[in-house]
Amino acid sequence: MPFTDLLADLGLMPLRAMAFQTMLLMVAIALEAMVLRQHLRLGYQSSVHYAASLNLLATSLGWLAFLALEAVLPPEWQQQVISYVLFNHLYVNGLSPNLPVMVVVTAMGVFFLTYWVKLQGLNALTRLLGSLPVVAPRPKIQRRFYPRSQPQPSPAGPEQSSHALAVLHANALSFTAILLLLVIRLVLQVAP
Amino acid sequence: MKWLGQTIAAFKSLVLPERYFSWQTILYLSIFSWLMSLLGRLLGASGFTVGLLASGSWIFLAIGLGWAVEHSQIKPFGLTLAPWVAGGVLCLFLFSSWQGPWLPTALVCWPLISFCVAAVPEVLTWDLQPKRPLPPVRQRLVLLFFFSLLISSWIQFHFRIQSWLKDYPSLGADRFGASNFVYRLPGQPLPLSAGMAHLAEAESFIADQTDGQPWSAVERWLLNREGHQQTIQTQIQSHSQASPESSLWQIQLPQPQSQAEGYELKILAVWTGPTAEPGSYYLEKTCMLMPVLKPASDAESALPTPSRWAKFTCEPEIPSRPGPPPLS
Repeated sequence: MPFTDLLADLGLMPLRAMAFQTMLLMVAIALEAMVLRQHLRLGYQSSVHYAASLNLLATSLGWLAFLALEAVLPPEWQQQVISYVLFNHLYVNGLSPNLPVMVVVTAMGVFFLTYWVKLQGLNALTRLLGSLPVVAPRPKIQRRFYPRSQPQPSPAGPEQSSHALAVLHANALSFTAILLLLVIRLVLQVAP
Repeated sequence: MKWLGQTIAAFKSLVLPERYFSWQTILYLSIFSWLMSLLGRLLGASGFTVGLLASGSWIFLAIGLGWAVEHSQIKPFGLTLAPWVAGGVLCLFLFSSWQGPWLPTALVCWPLISFCVAAVPEVLTWDLQPKRPLPPVRQRLVLLFFFSLLISSWIQFHFRIQSWLKDYPSLGADRFGASNFVYRLPGQPLPLSAGMAHLAEAESFIADQTDGQPWSAVERWLLNREGHQQTIQTQIQSHSQASPESSLWQIQLPQPQSQAEGYELKILAVWTGPTAEPGSYYLEKTCMLMPVLKPASDAESALPTPSRWAKFTCEPEIPSRPGPPPLS
C-alpha cells in the first residue's frame, strides 16, 4: 500500500525549512517592493506583485539548482550537505579545511547570480505585462536650459539601466536583511 | 420530524440539481462512465474501450470535484482550492497506473498540474482557441506558476531527505533538534542504527572463531587483532550491498583487558559520518572471553584434549558513547 508507505516516510519533513523560507520570503518581498516602488515609480500593489514574482522566481530556480546539483555531488560533498541540513553543522572530513572559504565564495556567487536572475526576470515581466513601468520622463524644459548636462541615454535604453540599478538596490537590501536574520537566529541558537 | 424533512429536502437539492449544467451532472457522468468501464471489463471488451471509459471517468471526476469545490466557495486565505483539487485528481489518474513507486512523482507534479488546470481557462477560449489574458491575469498566473514551482520543490526536497535516510539509515536514529530544515513528527518509532547490525555481525564472527576452541589457540588468535578487524570490515562491506553508509562505520577491536583468568574484549563500531554529536560517537559492545574447564565429549576423547576451552559471551546492552573512541 503506497499510502502506508507514505505515512511511514513522513517521519522527517522539511517543515522548518518551509516556515523559515516563508518568513524570509515575506521580509524580502516587503523590502524589495519598497525599493522597486521608489525606483520604478510603481503603485503599491504592482510593486508588491513585481517583488513577489522576482523573489519567487529566484527562490524556485535556486531550489531546482540545489536539487539538481545535490544529485550529482560526490559522496564526500553530499555528506557535508546532509550534515548541514539535518544537524545544522558541517562535520569533519577531508573537505573541512577549505569549507569556510568555499562558503563565502558561494554566497557571493549566489548574490550576483540572484541579481542577474532577478534582472532578467524584471525585464521579462515588464515585457510580458506589456505595461513598462513608467520611468518618469525628464521634463523637456530641462533639456532646453541645460543641454550639456543631460546624460546621454545608454544604448540599452533608460528603462534597462534603471531596472539594473533598482534590482541591485533591492537585492542588496533583501540579502542584508536575510543575512541579519540568519545571524540573529544563529546567536539565539548558540546562546541557550 | 421537521428536521428530518429539512434534511431530506437539502439532500434532494444536493443530489438532484435544479439545472442540468451543474457539478452534480458531471459527477454522475463520471460514475456512469466508471460503471460502463466495469461493464466493459466484465463483458470482455477491448482494453482500449475500457481504458477510454475509465479515463473519461477520471476526467469527469476531476472536473466535477473542481467545480463542486469552486461552487462551495470555500476559500482559505483567499486562495481558490478548485485547481488544486482537480489537479490532485488528475495526478492520481495520470500516475496511479505507473508501475513502482508513483506517489512521489505524483506529489511532485501535483502543484504544476494544478497550475496548468488554473491557467488553461485563462489562455484558451471555449472554442479551444488561444487567447491573450489581460495584464492583471498574466501577473496572477506568473505568481501562481512560481508559487507552485516552489511548493513542488519543497515536496521534492522532502523526498530527497527520505532518499538520504535510505542511503544512510543510521541518520534516522539521530537527533534533529538543531536542524533548521527538518522536523520529525512526534510519535514515530526510532529506527535502529545500522551500527547495531554491524556489531552483531562482528560478534558472530568472533564467536565462530573463538567459542569452543582450545584456550591456547584463542590466545594466539587475539594477537592478530588488526587482521581480524580488517576481515570483519570487509565482510560487513560485502554484506551490506553498495550502501554508501557502510564505509562510514569502522569496526575496532581495542586491546583486550585481562579480567580474572580471561579477557574483556570490546567491539566498537565508530561512526565517521554526519551526526548531531559534535565529536561523532561510537557504539560499544562488551564481551568476555573466558577459559572453561570442560570434559571433552566422547567423540574427541581419543585425541589428546587440552584441558581449557574458550567461552565467548557478550552483554546485551550496546551503549552509545559520544566522542572519538579511546586510543588502544
